[in-house]
Amino acid sequence: MSVFQVTAMLFALFMLYVVFLHQKRKVLGSTEASFWYSLWALFIILSLFPDLLEGITHLLSFERVFDVLVVSGMMVLTVIIFLTYFNQKSATKRFEESIRKIALEEKRKR
Amino acid sequence: MSKSIKRSDVWVILPAYNEARYIGTVLQKLQPITRNIVVIDDGSTDKTAHFAQQQTEHVLRHLVNLGKGAAMKTGAEYAFGHLHAKAVIFFDSDDQHNPQELELFYRQLNTGAQMILGVRSFDENMPLTRIIMNRLASVIILLLFGAYIPDIPSGFKAFTRQVYKKIRWDAADYAVEIEIAARIAKQQIPFVTVPIETIYHDLDRGMSFLHTVRMITKILSWRLAL
Repeated sequence: MSVFQVTAMLFALFMLYVVFLHQKRKVLGSTEASFWYSLWALFIILSLFPDLLEGITHLLSFERVFDVLVVSGMMVLTVIIFLTYFNQKSATKRFEESIRKIALEEKRKR
Repeated sequence: MSKSIKRSDVWVILPAYNEARYIGTVLQKLQPITRNIVVIDDGSTDKTAHFAQQQTEHVLRHLVNLGKGAAMKTGAEYAFGHLHAKAVIFFDSDDQHNPQELELFYRQLNTGAQMILGVRSFDENMPLTRIIMNRLASVIILLLFGAYIPDIPSGFKAFTRQVYKKIRWDAADYAVEIEIAARIAKQQIPFVTVPIETIYHDLDRGMSFLHTVRMITKILSWRLAL
């Protein structure tokens, strides 16, 4: 097993712990937590047995399994960044509207 | 010809954030001219609201600081929705405007103007960097939206309910002034300008380079979106 594989596995184990913590704090629901557990478990399996991706590597005309992982990782990151951006924007908007609404209602009550 | 608006139908809105040092003085100066005053305390951590409440009953408070644009929006919605104002005048709460100049705005509203912009003179009172940034903003708006709006950062401006419906802004922060300018230019809303005094003092908070970069990005995005 290479150093890279060990690092990847330790990282995935750490992320599983992070998911566990967030589930315990009820930040993540059971469905969301299951999704993230599966994702990181899959990450561990692929780190330990990268040959499992051989088939798809050739199918997509990549030279190495590592390249597939890098490209996939970047795609996942891009999606997450976009989703986070939209969520943050929408949350900011709702937050602003709530604060302004409270100010107007408080004044009307007085 | 647009309908003229009486002074009693006009409300002066002061967005304020941590202006405890000046708000009392500003309100004292405004009182002899008008009693139609609304103060929006934008989540101040000092005694801004306390001093404002001593002078006017119309003080609204944001629980947290949202920014000038959000405070202006709350003020406009309160004035048009709750107080049934026909027009509003925005007035900075940091003692940078001369309250006597409100008369210029009342006069214009009375003659039927819908949008009035207070324009400062670029004299020796205004720092050179401000003059350059100010002119640059107007030129960018001219190039992108096709109308020259002078002194965009000026917070002394007035508009009617009809105009508010057209220019209702999204910006919650300091970018509000430039968004309003972009909307005026884009929708070709007729406006008049009135000359106002240039007053700068120690509390004047300038825009950083980062603010300027963000502002330019926003202008470009509005060019696509508006």
